Amino acid sequence: MLNSSISYYSLKNCLCFLSLLIGSNQFAQNGLLDSAQKLCLEKKYDLAIPIIDKVILDPETKLNAGSWSIRAIAYFQSYKSIGKYDVSKISLIDTALSSTYISMKLDITNDRLESNKILVKSIAGVYYNLSSVLLKDSLNSVLSEKYYLRYKKMTTQLNPSFDFKEKDIEYYRSLGSIFLDLYMQKNFNQEFGEIAKTSLIKVLDINPKDISANINLGVFYYNQGATLMRLSDYTTDLVQLGLVQDNALKLFKQAEPFMLRVHVADPKEITAIEGLEGIYVALLDEVKANEFKIKKEALIKKQ
Amino acid sequence: MALSSQSFHQAQNFDINSKRTAIFLYNFTRYFEWPKSMKTGNFIIHVVGTQNQNLIQELNKMASTVEIDGRKLEIVNSNNLVEPNPVHIIYILKESSPLIKEISKKYIGKGSLLITEKMGATKLGSAINFVVVNNKQQFEFNKNNATKAGLKASSELTGLAVVVN
Repeated sequence: MLNSSISYYSLKNCLCFLSLLIGSNQFAQNGLLDSAQKLCLEKKYDLAIPIIDKVILDPETKLNAGSWSIRAIAYFQSYKSIGKYDVSKISLIDTALSSTYISMKLDITNDRLESNKILVKSIAGVYYNLSSVLLKDSLNSVLSEKYYLRYKKMTTQLNPSFDFKEKDIEYYRSLGSIFLDLYMQKNFNQEFGEIAKTSLIKVLDINPKDISANINLGVFYYNQGATLMRLSDYTTDLVQLGLVQDNALKLFKQAEPFMLRVHVADPKEITAIEGLEGIYVALLDEVKANEFKIKKEALIKKQ
Repeated sequence: MALSSQSFHQAQNFDINSKRTAIFLYNFTRYFEWPKSMKTGNFIIHVVGTQNQNLIQELNKMASTVEIDGRKLEIVNSNNLVEPNPVHIIYILKESSPLIKEISKKYIGKGSLLITEKMGATKLGSAINFVVVNNKQQFEFNKNNATKAGLKASSELTGLAVVVN
């Protein structure tokens, strides 16, 4: 399962740093900016927001990188104060991000580069965690993936050589697994099935040996074939039945290599053995079905 | 490991082969004409062999949803078929294949369609015998055996079957 593990640890460092930054802001002579900074230091972010929103419109302070940084902090902290990953308040995070980028653009001398980078990293963490929450709680794959891709884009900007292999596997494996469950729970809903399939294929593109993705894809194709038969009416004529059989056959054969790959890699993986038994039963291959039935029984006996 | 929690178990709750067989059996009722004496009352399918209860369940499910020419479909299941009662279809499962010859003799001219699933069963008197060809369920049809049983077969069936003389 996707791990919402990007913590606020780095953010805490960032905030300590930015507190110092806020306190020592050289542009504090501006009344509104001064008030906003003060409120931020007092952790009254919701009160700081309307003031800092005026600061960034003021000709005197709108081109000040510090103003935008403070705005980013205020919005970010306001979101954080909700205490959970609330999608309905995501505009706070979006504003924090856009403000950070403007600050970076205005920060010609790179005085705030490091603190802004830490802020971007923390915001990226929020998007990552939101992508997880959206999957698990809301089953919103579109928005979840959107935030996951945003997290990746932001992380790449900070660290162009960041290796996303593990994160991608974790994310798409989780997405695939959740939607495969949904596909089956919702009466083999094809839309959910396609999301599951696409996600699991992405995992295998990265790591062709990934056990859970292989098994889940095997299950998916098997179920696709089984669904064709399940949905056939008893009165389906023999010609039509022949076509159903042909199509189901293709799907069962598509399921086979995924399960076999797992079985070869781990002969004690019982789900793959059960899967292969089911596939060969569906393929009317009694010899092979029996072979895997015996393997399954032997394995269960040992356990 | 992020395995689907439903995994393979839910998928296996549905028996593909039983459903497929049920569809075949229903279809066979369309391609044969039973003697006049068997055109009233329930349409009876007797399955000989008790090891495939998934199939019996599927057939009972079918019986509760479809009718044969406006008649109720009745499924009977036993290990043998001693009395030559009026039965429209006798389906002998593989486990009961040793009984094919005996049952086919008993039912000559009784208007019962004998269906089997054993290689070479048409030589033992079966009119329809399920076979697997390239992982696909097909059937052999022996018209002579059907005629001997007292049934008229549609010529269309020959085109759909693996013909055996």
